[in-house]
Amino acid sequence: MQAFSVFVIPLLILVILLHGLYHKVAVYEVFVEGAKDGFATAVRIIPYLVAILFAIAMFRASGAMESLGQLISPFFALLGIPTEIFPMAIIRPMTGSGSVGILAELIHNFGSESLVVKIAATMFGSTETTLYVLAVYFGSVSINKTRYALQVGLLADATGFLAATFICISLFG
Amino acid sequence: MLNSIWAGLIIISIVFATGHDIHDELNNSYNNGHIYHLPYSSLKDTTTIRLHHHGYYFDAQIETGSEPDELLIPITEALPDSWHIIAQHQTSADTQQLRATLLSIDRHQQQLSFILPEVHWVKLHAIVNAAFDMAEFAVKLAIGLAGIMALWLGLMQIAEKSGLMLIFVKAIYPLLRWLFPDIPKDHPAMGSISLNMAANILGLGNAATPLGIKAMQQLQTLNQKKDQASDAMCMFLALNTSSVQLLPPVTLIALMGAGVSELILPIILATSTSTLVAVISARWLARRSR
Repeated sequence: MQAFSVFVIPLLILVILLHGLYHKVAVYEVFVEGAKDGFATAVRIIPYLVAILFAIAMFRASGAMESLGQLISPFFALLGIPTEIFPMAIIRPMTGSGSVGILAELIHNFGSESLVVKIAATMFGSTETTLYVLAVYFGSVSINKTRYALQVGLLADATGFLAATFICISLFG
Repeated sequence: MLNSIWAGLIIISIVFATGHDIHDELNNSYNNGHIYHLPYSSLKDTTTIRLHHHGYYFDAQIETGSEPDELLIPITEALPDSWHIIAQHQTSADTQQLRATLLSIDRHQQQLSFILPEVHWVKLHAIVNAAFDMAEFAVKLAIGLAGIMALWLGLMQIAEKSGLMLIFVKAIYPLLRWLFPDIPKDHPAMGSISLNMAANILGLGNAATPLGIKAMQQLQTLNQKKDQASDAMCMFLALNTSSVQLLPPVTLIALMGAGVSELILPIILATSTSTLVAVISARWLARRSR
């Protein structure tokens, strides 16, 4: 698995290069020409990233999540979902590094063979950091009015979360 | 909706932090002003002292010279959690030791009295620091992205010029036509979208983002209202936020080790479900908004 990921990128680069050379493209000049946009794009994203990341950081630091977790745990118990994965469900759409931290914490506390960790890892692997993707992608074209994109993204996260839970419970539970 | 979620996050954090801190103030959770009387066992030399507290001990330094004398407590795992928080919020910027004010040494009873620095409004400090730290980090993140962006954009440019992109797009065109009915058949956006999807499917997160950004910029050229997301963009975001993944992301592999292999099936099932829901709802919302 890991080996596969290791080979894909070099292979992709090689195919692009060889195909370019075969079709007599001035590969070096064309590369530089394309690469020029990299910096401008990254700079354009900054305000959007700051807006999203600082709000999420404040939320995490405030301890609001723990309180929300206690509030919502009866509903989780009712559905038969382990309450320990609540932080993952909340943080996953917000930050990638944050959810890595939560997963690492769960592995540390429950061991990587536990059902909770399997559910959390499945959630981690099957959903995306919606708010970050939204900020970066719309930021890169300076769009503020995102219409229904956020709703769809959050709906996908909720679906992924429920699907991960019930699939893992029926497979490993 | 983004507006209300964004504002909500900030308002909730400030309200919670304030509430938490008021609760701490009322209960004096950090024992502000409390005088600790701890027995000590040995004065190794004239300045180092071994103190005993709730079944464990630590060696503290007595620092004379300043008025009043100070007790330097090294910050270790053994200290209670509240002391760690006090250490993080003490006025001295010392990260290695907790600076307590030494009141007296009773050599008869072998007892030492000291008082810890006062700590107030811990959560409010924490959210403000987190906000500033993240604002700084956002720039680092973006600058870090600049290099990877440039690399992939350069390679894409070659693939476009050589016609490789076209071959790739033709292969998955039937699917893309259904997902993006508004994009003309030979438009370059199709190429970036398909490469972005391929990178997602293969779990290549850091390749997917630059390719996705490129796709967004090409979609923007087709967009009628430049400040507003088009249906094609929303569909593209739906695909990306629900993450079509066949191989688990590299970070997950690193975290779970070999255990990740039995999770591949659940991940594929869960991600297919969420992607399906995202695509259908994006389709439905696009149609409804016409």
